[in-house]
Amino acid sequence: MLSHIIFLSLFYTVVAVLCGTVALSLFRAACDFRAHRADAICWQATFPDLPAIERACRHEFTGEFEHRTCDRAFDCRGCQTHAALTATQSAGVAPVGPEADVFGLEFPLDRFYHRGHAWAHPEPDGTVTVGLDALGARLVAQPEAIELPAVGSHIQTNGCGWHVRKRGADVRILSPLDGEVVATGGPRQGWYLRVKPDGGDFDARHLLRGSEIRPWIAREMERLQASLASTGQAIMMADGGVLVDDIAASYPEADWDAVCAQIFLQP
Amino acid sequence: MLKAIGRARAPRRCTTNQFLLWTLPWAALLAFGLYGAGLCLVKGLNQTNMDNRFVFGLWIFLDLTVIALGAGAFFTGFLLYILKKRELQAVINSAVVIGFICYSGAMAALLVDVGQPLRFWFTFWHPNVHSMLTEVTFCISCYLTVLCIEYIPIVLKNRKLRQVPSFLVFEFELHKLMPVLAGVGTFLSFFHQGSLGGLYGVLRGRPFAFREGFAMWPSTFFLFILSAAAAGPAFILLTTWLVSKISGKQLVGPGVLPLLGRISGILLVPYVLLKSIDTLVWINSTSPARGFTGYQFYARKPFGGWILFAEIVVFGLVPALILLRRRLRESHGWLLSAAALVCAGIALNRFVMTIQTLALPTLPFDPFMSYLPSWQETATFLGVFGYGILIYSFSFRYLTLFPQEKDLQC
Repeated sequence: MLSHIIFLSLFYTVVAVLCGTVALSLFRAACDFRAHRADAICWQATFPDLPAIERACRHEFTGEFEHRTCDRAFDCRGCQTHAALTATQSAGVAPVGPEADVFGLEFPLDRFYHRGHAWAHPEPDGTVTVGLDALGARLVAQPEAIELPAVGSHIQTNGCGWHVRKRGADVRILSPLDGEVVATGGPRQGWYLRVKPDGGDFDARHLLRGSEIRPWIAREMERLQASLASTGQAIMMADGGVLVDDIAASYPEADWDAVCAQIFLQP
Repeated sequence: MLKAIGRARAPRRCTTNQFLLWTLPWAALLAFGLYGAGLCLVKGLNQTNMDNRFVFGLWIFLDLTVIALGAGAFFTGFLLYILKKRELQAVINSAVVIGFICYSGAMAALLVDVGQPLRFWFTFWHPNVHSMLTEVTFCISCYLTVLCIEYIPIVLKNRKLRQVPSFLVFEFELHKLMPVLAGVGTFLSFFHQGSLGGLYGVLRGRPFAFREGFAMWPSTFFLFILSAAAAGPAFILLTTWLVSKISGKQLVGPGVLPLLGRISGILLVPYVLLKSIDTLVWINSTSPARGFTGYQFYARKPFGGWILFAEIVVFGLVPALILLRRRLRESHGWLLSAAALVCAGIALNRFVMTIQTLALPTLPFDPFMSYLPSWQETATFLGVFGYGILIYSFSFRYLTLFPQEKDLQC
């Protein structure tokens, strides 16, 4: 009798553990949606699926590491290595200076840049203006559709900021900060969102700035060239050449979905 | 804002037409198998060449073999999630799919083999707790459930399905609990692999297979666990290489296959040692106590002494020595030959423990029995094979079975 009880108890314990595991996952997923964590989780879940070259640590760009893969989904705010390396720099304030000219692209140095090609510029009134950097703008130039979040909605760092449709490619632009959308713009205004940061302070430790921009864009250009070359149309860039305003129009046979996915970090 | 996430980049695959052409013969094999299995289910087990004396046939051989080969899923999960052997992340998805195919295929064959498909639930509702096979049924059913749950995150990461945020969030949360599933899977696998071997502790009427051991566990309990744990990684190694060759793509980094080979080799050494000791004890003690000298069992053709030599030396010791030597492991030819020998060895061992066991006489006046499967049995066997190839082909095409593939293509 005792052996019956032990055997069946073990079996039903296993069944209970299995059911409990699935139920707990469903419950946690529901909690994530209620707590507005779902957007950030989607990024965390997809980040490991990016090719290793796209997950390179920002400190590779500036030569502090020869090879290092980010394991924090580009959220440097809790990264001890990043904190140690930038201890001597002032983290919260963007350097004010002239525009950086990288391969003929303008990258104003008064703002912070997200690895997904969005920029964030702190305004004097405490809000942050968010836009698309020069390389991103040329990739989705003259988009077929833009879908911006509603004013009053909440966006999360590395979550979806807004959507752009270009030549069949549905591109989501990653948000560079957490906050509430207070105004929306568009390509004509030169910015897309104005955001009131959560907690009132804009934490930009995870964003690129200053001397990081040039090596980062140099690498992005290499990736873009490789991506376009893989379509069988190798591009040539003579010294002094400037990237055209609408790259998609110059590559009618390119798989624009794949090109945009690569540059805008979509696994 | 939770909009659908944009289209994902997927590794390049062959065209739809090429893929359909590839699936055609396997689908035909599956259809043939379903027809054979259908006849057995509708008309009964008289469609087979098994009878009341020869009750273990091709299907049981298939079950025991695929369950052993599918052990790569639990053992890889155990090494990755419990022992944190991160390099195995490269093959864990493929291992889960292989495990799922093996176990679901075995369950399907068992359903036909039991012969009363409408009463399949009796084993759960009226369990005979004195039977080893009840434990096996319970463990295999539970482990198949574990594999289904482990399969879910792989499916949800399909490039279309992942565009639905709720699927991605559920996948993320489920993946966080993967160590629990790996632990449960390991527990279940250890016990059902062991229980399949434990069966020989109660087969007193079959002196060729009967074994004694420690307390309630015969030696075969431990040998079945160890041999399955050794063969599982070898089978993953072999399938990964095969898929890589067929698809023409590099799927894993250069160190992954040798690592799987090394794991297999490390487990194979104690297995060969224990198997040798077990055989010596059986020849000198267990079998004589039942009225037979061990050598008598090898006097009948075609099951001569060569089968014992092949099992222990050719398919055990030789691959173990190859897999333990780094220089040989790093040569593709040696590595793959050794892995193939290990997989063939496990199939031979399960064949010996089922078909040969029943063919040999149990009493001095018993005749040597022979058995040849009917076409319906063979069709069902081939159907499981076709089913496995189809599931793996669809998984490889639409899911990410080898996460490193993308990086290796860059």
